[in-house]
Amino acid sequence: MPFYDLKSFITELEKQGQLLTITEQVMPEPDISAAACAINKLGDKSPALLFENIYGYHHAKIAMNIHGSWPNLAIAMGIAKNTPLKQQFFEFVKRYQNYPGEVEYRNQAPWQEVIIDKDINLFEILPLFRLNHGDGGFYIDKASIVSRDITASEPAKTQNVGMYRIEVKGKDSLGIQPVPAHDIALHLQRAEEQGLDLPIALTISNDPMISTVAAMPILYDQSEYAMAAALNGEPYPVVTTELTGLDVPWGSQYVLEGYVVSRYREAEGPFGEFTGHYSGGRRMPVIKVTKVSHRKNPIYEHLYLGMPWTEIDYLMGINTCAPIYVQLKQSFPEVEAVNALYTHGLIVIVSTKSRFAGFGKAVGNRVFTIPHGLGYAKIVIVVDETVDPFNLPQVMWAISTKFNPEFDLITLPGLSILPLDPASHPPGITTKMLIDATTPYPSEQHGHFSQELKDPITTDKWVEKLSNMLNAKQ
Amino acid sequence: MTKIKQPEMCPRCESLKPETLCHSPVKNAWIIYHCPVCFFTWRNTEPDFITDPAQYNPHFKFKPESIDTFDIMPAIPELKR
Repeated sequence: MPFYDLKSFITELEKQGQLLTITEQVMPEPDISAAACAINKLGDKSPALLFENIYGYHHAKIAMNIHGSWPNLAIAMGIAKNTPLKQQFFEFVKRYQNYPGEVEYRNQAPWQEVIIDKDINLFEILPLFRLNHGDGGFYIDKASIVSRDITASEPAKTQNVGMYRIEVKGKDSLGIQPVPAHDIALHLQRAEEQGLDLPIALTISNDPMISTVAAMPILYDQSEYAMAAALNGEPYPVVTTELTGLDVPWGSQYVLEGYVVSRYREAEGPFGEFTGHYSGGRRMPVIKVTKVSHRKNPIYEHLYLGMPWTEIDYLMGINTCAPIYVQLKQSFPEVEAVNALYTHGLIVIVSTKSRFAGFGKAVGNRVFTIPHGLGYAKIVIVVDETVDPFNLPQVMWAISTKFNPEFDLITLPGLSILPLDPASHPPGITTKMLIDATTPYPSEQHGHFSQELKDPITTDKWVEKLSNMLNAKQ
Repeated sequence: MTKIKQPEMCPRCESLKPETLCHSPVKNAWIIYHCPVCFFTWRNTEPDFITDPAQYNPHFKFKPESIDTFDIMPAIPELKR
C-alpha cells in the first residue's frame, strides 16, 4: 500500500522501528543538523528522526533522514525492510518499466487548510535553520518544485517536478539553483528569451515517492507524477493550484507559489553540497513568493547533506541507477546491472556480458552520452556480468586483475560536468575516464585470463547449509 | 533574558545595518538577522564563529564588491522577442 503523505509514512516507519522521536529540547543550530549528520554515521539502516521540541518554537515539528537508509527506502516501496540492495534495485527497475502510471486529479487537498497571501514572512511560516556552518543562509533543500515551459504549445506536457536547492533570502524571496543540465533550467531559458517571469510551485514535506522521483534523472518528456504512480503501483493524486495552474501533490504539507523573476540574478550561496564541498558563491535566479498554503499543524521535512554518506546519497541512489540501466540496456541488452550510487553518479559501475572485442569500451562510452551521463558520469568502470557492481570488493578485484592501463584506459578531454564538481576546470568542464575491467574478448590478445578461479562445485550448497546451521544456533 | 543587542554589521561581508527578519514565536528566545547586501542570514543563538564578524571563517568572508565577480548561473539568454 503506497503512502500519500508524510504523516502516514512516518507512522509506518515508527511501526517498523525506523523512527526515533527526539522529545528533549534542541537548539535549531547546531543540534538538528548535527543529529541528522550523526545518524548516518551509525550505519546504513538508520531510522528517520522527528524533533518535537525546538527552542523558540511553540509547536514546530521537524522530520529529518526520512529517506536516509536502505530499510527506509524499502518501506517506501512497500517491500520488506531488509530487502538486499541489489534486489531493491531490480524491484525499482521492474516498476519503473511500468511507466506511465495513472495521475488522479482531485479537487481539494489538506494543504489548502491555511492560506497566506499577504505580508508573507517565510521565517515565521517555516521552522528554518542552518544546515552547515559555511552555508550563506537557511535553505529549503527537499522541496519538490513544479514548473512548465510556458512558451510551449502545450505547457502541461512539459511539466517537471525536480528537487533544487533553495536559499531563503528574505521574507518572501528565495534563491534557486537551476543547474543547466536540469529540466527547470530549460523552462527558465525559454521564459527569459521572451522576457517572461516563470510561474513556480514549491511543495514541501511530501509523500516519500514523489521526493524519490523529483530527485531522479528521468527524461525531459516523462511525467514525474506518472512515474510516481508506476513506482507506487497505484494512481498518484494531484491537485491543480488556483494561482499558478500547476499540478502539485495532494499530500503535501506546504505549497509555496510564486514566480522566478525574469532575467535577474543575485548573490547566492555558498551551500554545503552532495559533493562533500561547498558550492562557492554565484549569481543565480530569484523567486518571489506570493502565496503560501499549508496544513494545520504541519511537519517540516528537511534533509541533511554533508560529507558522504548522508541522507541525500540514499535519496539519489537507486533512483539514479535505474534510469541509467534502462537507457543503457536499450542500446546494449547485454548490460546486467548499474551501480551509480556514489555522488549521484559521478562514478558509474556497469556490469555487462561481452559480445566481441572492445565491447566493454563501447558500453562504457555510451554512459557518457545518456542524459544523466552528460552532467555527471566522470569515471565509468565496466566489469564482467559475473561481477556484482554493488559489491565493491568484487569491483576492486576486477580492476586490480583484469585492467591494464596500457590497453584498458580511455580519457576523454573537454566534456561537460555539473559545475558543482570541485575538480572541474573551468567549472562545468572536465576530462572523463573509462576503466574497462572486463575480460578481454577474442581477438584482444593482452593478459592471461584462461585460468580464472571458480568456487568449488558444491559451494552454493554449503553456503545454504552453513547459513542454516548458524541461524539454528541463534 | 537580557535585551538582545542589535548587531552592527554582517558577520560575513561586514556591511553595516543588518535587518531583523523574525523574532522567535516563544518570546525572547532568539532573533534572525539578515544582510541586505550579501543575503547572509543568521540567528543570534548560533555559535560565535557564525555571529561574530571577527571570528567568522575567513575562507568564507568576502567584500560586498566581490559579488560583481561571482559567476552567473544559468546564463541569461538573449531576448528573442
